[in-house]
Amino acid sequence: MILIEVIDVTKRYGRHVILDKINFTVDKGEVLGFLGPNGAGKSTTMNIITGYISATEGQVKVDGIDMLEHPEKVKKKIGYLPEIPPLYPEMTVEEYLRFVCDIKKVSGPKREESLKQVMDTVRISDVKERLIRNLSKGYRQRIGIAQAIIGDPEVLILDEPTVGLDPNQIIEIRNLIKELGKRHTIILSSHILPEVSAICGRVLIINKGQIVAEGSPEELSQQFNYSSKILLRIKGDGEEAVKTIQGIENVVSVANQGVKEDNTVDILVESKKGVDIREQLFNAMSFANLPIYMMKPMNLTLEDIFAQVTTHEEVEK
Amino acid sequence: MIAVFNKEIRSYFTSAIGFIFMAVFLLISGIFFAFINLLQASSYFSPVLENCIFVFLLLVPVLTMRTIAGETHQKTDQLLLTSPLKVSDIVLGKYFAAVALFLLTLLITCIYPLIMSMYGNISALEIIGDYLGFILMGSSFISIGLFVSSISGNQVTSAVGTFGALLFIWLIDWVQQGLPTSLTSGVIFAGILVILLCIIIYYATKNIYAGTIVGIAGAAVMAIVYFTKKTLYEGFTAKFLGWFSLLKRYESFSMGILDVSSIIYYITFSAAFLFLTVRMIEKRRWS
Repeated sequence: MILIEVIDVTKRYGRHVILDKINFTVDKGEVLGFLGPNGAGKSTTMNIITGYISATEGQVKVDGIDMLEHPEKVKKKIGYLPEIPPLYPEMTVEEYLRFVCDIKKVSGPKREESLKQVMDTVRISDVKERLIRNLSKGYRQRIGIAQAIIGDPEVLILDEPTVGLDPNQIIEIRNLIKELGKRHTIILSSHILPEVSAICGRVLIINKGQIVAEGSPEELSQQFNYSSKILLRIKGDGEEAVKTIQGIENVVSVANQGVKEDNTVDILVESKKGVDIREQLFNAMSFANLPIYMMKPMNLTLEDIFAQVTTHEEVEK
Repeated sequence: MIAVFNKEIRSYFTSAIGFIFMAVFLLISGIFFAFINLLQASSYFSPVLENCIFVFLLLVPVLTMRTIAGETHQKTDQLLLTSPLKVSDIVLGKYFAAVALFLLTLLITCIYPLIMSMYGNISALEIIGDYLGFILMGSSFISIGLFVSSISGNQVTSAVGTFGALLFIWLIDWVQQGLPTSLTSGVIFAGILVILLCIIIYYATKNIYAGTIVGIAGAAVMAIVYFTKKTLYEGFTAKFLGWFSLLKRYESFSMGILDVSSIIYYITFSAAFLFLTVRMIEKRRWS
């Protein structure tokens, strides 16, 4: 079931085009990742979906309701964590979350319950009486997420939720988002690739205001994988090893990567797509008495795809 | 609206702003009271409040500078504008919070006439009239401050801009007297206004036709007035500025006259500026 529809959304500031006819949909329960370099239009897209700014052209529908026609109804369905968490430094955590409850019209007996639940989910109960001004970046980010999930909105939109955090906090926030993904539909943006492939079921790569690639992380790596690469570390003479490998069927290219460990040589072997040459490699090497110390398949990571897609654009222009 | 109101009131008192505003206003009004009423043994209270107008004028920027510019600067406007609140709720909440703090402060100054009433006769109705006028005028000042806050990106520009606007309003009556009243000057001023209006419309809509149409319509109205009722142009500049003279209308209150037209004027003035503030915030989302 489609929950969010973005139809032909264009945003221009004067003559400057930020978004150029973006089209995509998000299904209920999906975790979608926006990937793109800084200034690609990720935040702008999110700001338009949440109703913070308006598109120059195009339409955004959440659950079939148009944002421009019924902004209050749509905004009730969305929880938003902007790039900079919108916090009031002079408030305590609890005061702040109560204020958010007020403006999101969460009231009655549900209120105390959901406050407690939200604080437990993002684990900020221990700082609830402290001023936000005095809290660390990790806590602030978590308060930002708490603010977004108050009122239990169907959709969560998180703009670079892990930016500026230390590695432990990043893992913590990622796990939290995975947890939230079970109950909410999430759109998340990032320019960190492993993050997106770890959390998201589907990825949109945005560059210069356009969607340049789309699919699950696996689909994307397959789509852009024209060949498979294997990195070998072999004990013995480099030139002899290269010659032996070149003799194997289906090998496209062989490159000597130099010496990384004493008495060994690293070799990058590229084979035709869809052909597994590992067994032949082993046999050939063992026959030539060149012991394999290491064999590592090099899959095309999202990083490579990202670089391909975004630099390809540049060449075109 | 109530959520924003409560939050604003709380933030006035968790930051020093609310206290500074009240302390300065009460200190200076206390000095006026002591010198004008107590030391001269006079029961005439109007001059005290009249002097307080200028003090309040200096303090309004302090009260309103953060209201909207502060949210923009801290990026908390993203929270407010993506919540199910209407923009008008946000603006009204902020406006009434500032007005409430102002009223609270004025309420404390009511001690002064009470002290006087213990030692002599005071004209209660006149003093109530004074207060009513002050409240209405002060609320109009606050609405200007809110509007300036919505067009400036940070608190300093907001404060300086509000101060400038209010100072100009303070000077209007004086400026008015020195303006030319001839027919030509009136026509020229009307022409400038029409051109300004065209430019504003053009920038708001980015549509050259809309701007041109307004310009042609304005020129037509000017021509019709010129050929049918020339006298309207005489002293037009001064009359136009007079519409913004908030202080002139206060005079009738301080004379103890309850002038309904002045009450309506002040309320309309505030409403107009609040409306402009809402439009300004909404417009920012489009451009």
